[in-house]
Amino acid sequence: MNNDVFFRYGVVCEPRPITLVLLSFYSRGATWKLPFPDHLLTVPYHPKIDGTRLCDKEEGKAWRSLNPRNLPSSKRICDQIPQFLMASGFSGDETAPFFGFLGAAAALVFSCMGAAYGTAKSGVGVASMGVMRPELVMKSIVPVVMAGVLGIYGLIIAVIISTGINPKAKSYYLFDGYAHLSSGLACGLAGLSAGMAIGIVGDAGVRANAQQPKLFVGMILILIFAEALALYGLIVGIILSSRAGQSRAD
Amino acid sequence: MVGDSSSWSRALVKISPYTFSAVGIAIAIGVSVLGAAWGIYITGSSLIGAAIKAPRITSKNLISVIFCEAVAIYGVIVAIILQTKLESVPASQIYAPESLRAGYAIFASGIIVGFANLVCGLCVGIIGSSCALSDAQNSSLFVKILVIEIFGSALGLFGVIVGIIMSAQATWPAKTV
Repeated sequence: MNNDVFFRYGVVCEPRPITLVLLSFYSRGATWKLPFPDHLLTVPYHPKIDGTRLCDKEEGKAWRSLNPRNLPSSKRICDQIPQFLMASGFSGDETAPFFGFLGAAAALVFSCMGAAYGTAKSGVGVASMGVMRPELVMKSIVPVVMAGVLGIYGLIIAVIISTGINPKAKSYYLFDGYAHLSSGLACGLAGLSAGMAIGIVGDAGVRANAQQPKLFVGMILILIFAEALALYGLIVGIILSSRAGQSRAD
Repeated sequence: MVGDSSSWSRALVKISPYTFSAVGIAIAIGVSVLGAAWGIYITGSSLIGAAIKAPRITSKNLISVIFCEAVAIYGVIVAIILQTKLESVPASQIYAPESLRAGYAIFASGIIVGFANLVCGLCVGIIGSSCALSDAQNSSLFVKILVIEIFGSALGLFGVIVGIIMSAQATWPAKTV
């Protein structure tokens, strides 16, 4: 079937925008090379009805038939690109340890940031209130201990990740690297936020406890809720890092 | 798609592992010392100010300054350990997977130690300053606040532990004779 079609602008009743563009180009003498391929310069028309425009529905169908989404996969450039990439044979698995180690680093560093903030902020509160009530200082060390536990969570995840990166025993793909990165970030950033909460609550709590002893239980309850945030991060981190090594069936 | 890679990997594989190792070692020592210095000046300024009216606190509270200094020592130790892990490999092996991994391990170890010591130094410095101020008002408080400071300095130790565990992963490919 002959697929050559020609645009008969002489018979157009109301011009489409593409028509105006083409008219403006052609009327200048058509010496410019247009940036789109030749088959888009023409509107296909019904081969049996010569010299007339198609009705709107048919014309819409004709234009839509030129859309790359309607072409078969073998003719679409966007579907051929992965083969070009695969032909080079680069899988990126050599850089997977970068992400894995960065996950371990994130786990420890951010948890330590949270722990440091918690310890420092509540420690300042303890020292300030201890001036007036020295007997309450040992009881008020609870926020400091809870902040220290955050550092331990980060340490756990960092060691789990670090011992999980062992390309001699088991191949380490990009999937595993990303799993470890997400695990470390989850635990670390959760620890950072929990540390901030513990610090501020601990500071306010110990100062208030010095003035009103009944507030001790309330302060402990709030601190437990804040600590739970870091625990959620630890749980999710452990789940994520257990996914490493599951990318292939082998 | 199996075997498909990201552009991050294509960019990372062009960077020499020696770059990563060198930057890691520099961060291990540089940022640790930054943390120690920050802590020392926070503690020191409070200590000196509080000692105007209570000169007895100076000698006891120098221990807070020593806790901060220990953070810098951790950074020095780990930086020396990491630089012994640096080996030269033949030019053909520089971008081999094993050598890339060794570079990343040293880099991550340096980051861990550096930033953990940075926050540890800050924390110990702030607590040390509170310790000096409260000791000036009530001498029974010194030992109690010191307990809090010990919790703070444990953070630097965590960093050193993980950094040393990770540096054991920095094995370069063997030189072929």
